[in-house]
Amino acid sequence: MAEVLTIGRAPTPSVDAKRSAVRWLSYAFFAMALLFAAVAAALGDVFFFRLATESLIFGGLALSVDLLLGRTGLLPLGQALFFGFGAYVSALTLKHLAPSLPLALAVVLVSGTLVGLVGGLIAIRAKGVYFALISFGLAQVVSKIVFNTRELGASDGLIGVPAPVVSLGVASFDTAHAPSFFLLVLAGMAALLALLMRLMDTPFGRQLDAIRTNEHRLAFLGFDPWRYKLAAFVLAADIAALSGALYPMLRGFVSPELMFFQVSGNAVINVVVGGTGTFVGALYGSALLTALKSVVGSFTAHHAIVIGALFVVSVIFFPKGLVGYLAPALERLWSRR
Amino acid sequence: MKPTTDDAILKVRGLTVRFGSLVAVDGVGFDAQRGHITAVIGPNGAGKSSLFNLISGAFRPSAGQVLLEGRDVTGASPNRMLAAGLSRSFQITNLFFELPVRENLRLAAQSVEGGRGLLRHVSASRAAQRRVDELIERFALHARADELAGFLSHGEQRRLEIAVALAARPRLLLLDEPTQGMSHADTQDTAALIRSLVDDGLSILLVEHDVDLVMDLSDHVVVMHQGAKLAEGRPEAVRADPAVQAAYFGEVQEPAHA
Repeated sequence: MAEVLTIGRAPTPSVDAKRSAVRWLSYAFFAMALLFAAVAAALGDVFFFRLATESLIFGGLALSVDLLLGRTGLLPLGQALFFGFGAYVSALTLKHLAPSLPLALAVVLVSGTLVGLVGGLIAIRAKGVYFALISFGLAQVVSKIVFNTRELGASDGLIGVPAPVVSLGVASFDTAHAPSFFLLVLAGMAALLALLMRLMDTPFGRQLDAIRTNEHRLAFLGFDPWRYKLAAFVLAADIAALSGALYPMLRGFVSPELMFFQVSGNAVINVVVGGTGTFVGALYGSALLTALKSVVGSFTAHHAIVIGALFVVSVIFFPKGLVGYLAPALERLWSRR
Repeated sequence: MKPTTDDAILKVRGLTVRFGSLVAVDGVGFDAQRGHITAVIGPNGAGKSSLFNLISGAFRPSAGQVLLEGRDVTGASPNRMLAAGLSRSFQITNLFFELPVRENLRLAAQSVEGGRGLLRHVSASRAAQRRVDELIERFALHARADELAGFLSHGEQRRLEIAVALAARPRLLLLDEPTQGMSHADTQDTAALIRSLVDDGLSILLVEHDVDLVMDLSDHVVVMHQGAKLAEGRPEAVRADPAVQAAYFGEVQEPAHA
């Protein structure tokens, strides 16, 4: 595209072109994940399969953060509350009810919706920084309660969670088998991403964009913003809880640390680094940060310092994040041809 | 001039709002007739905007009543006001600046669409799409339809502001200084547009600074002063009222050219 100066008119690439670039980057993510799986399986690896699965699971948490931060305009600083809740409920279900993945997910979905509703009714009353602080406070309170509850294993958490086997008619996936569980989680995240991207083109999704842009005016167009924000909050709680539900299947244990601020904060960082409001950016961010932590961690024990510095640099130079930077670049490339 | 028949779409009775010790609107009452343009004028700080906020549901009144088509809607939330048939525009342009013009209108038109499926694509809302196309045509925004609202010129934004307020097909439209900051030519265009809306059967309640425009455009004028109603009547009667002249026209005496 030529550098043309147009008066009073910024070059706005069509919304469709932007969408298709983000969609293409989504396909690219899953293609790369499958490529990784093929290489890792050929090498008979387990460690990196588990690490990649963990990155996808925390990517699910980041997706829930992006729904609130990138689309609805609410910054959740305590989203790990729902992630940890899902992890504990899943662990309890697998241990004491039955080692069944569908059962664990169903129990987490129902209880996660209820907890999300209660959390939402408290947090949605506030806006801006107050919402962020209430979300942070709720997670602090619940994580401290879990930390001090002996029945939940207190600071040790719950250990010895059995890994369920998922039978899908013709084939069965053993979640204890690292490559199988990776593929299962990858498929789950693909479905979740497809659902979220579709949702943003429905009337409900567009209301969320409108709330982020100008909540005040939306009320005068016949909609009650509060209801839409609550729905988004509950949906995000469910996504976080379902992602958390996968954690004990991967690691065989859960601990109160899953609800700590470290986890909530990392999820926000994953979203910002990956590209706020793009959804697939959350998965990219999580993969990138997990890889960085693993690589930098093998050189120094102080990897948090290095990653923190990298985060600051990336926010300064790429404030729109990886996908927020790559998608427009792709569009320009396409329109040049 | 239209004959005055008593068919009030809006009845305001003793409307009052206090902010602490300040009485911003003090027992204001008037009727707005169906199919008419009713204007509220008054000097700065007279309480016009507060009155508008009370009628449109932005503020909850301390006392008084708002009746829309005979229904008591006093203190209803803005979204309920819209459902009852009342919509408003804003003095300070209040749009979704980061969204395209078309999307601004589609959001506004969406509430006319019944039964929404949870995962249905927005483009499936035919009635809303048709409404958007109609409005783009009527407000001459086709050249800018895919532009972000924030990139429009001031005049275009003011037009879009009215179009957005109109999208859900209200029966009573409240316009808060629609020509604010417009050039003389744009003001004339907007006046013509407002007249054409009334010709289509819409009722309009208007707050306006431009006294000449109000006198030219409206069927009925309500004058506010220090939070209370000072006078009301036909434009020429209000203009001749000595109390109004003292309180209002006296302050902004312009070279006689009208």
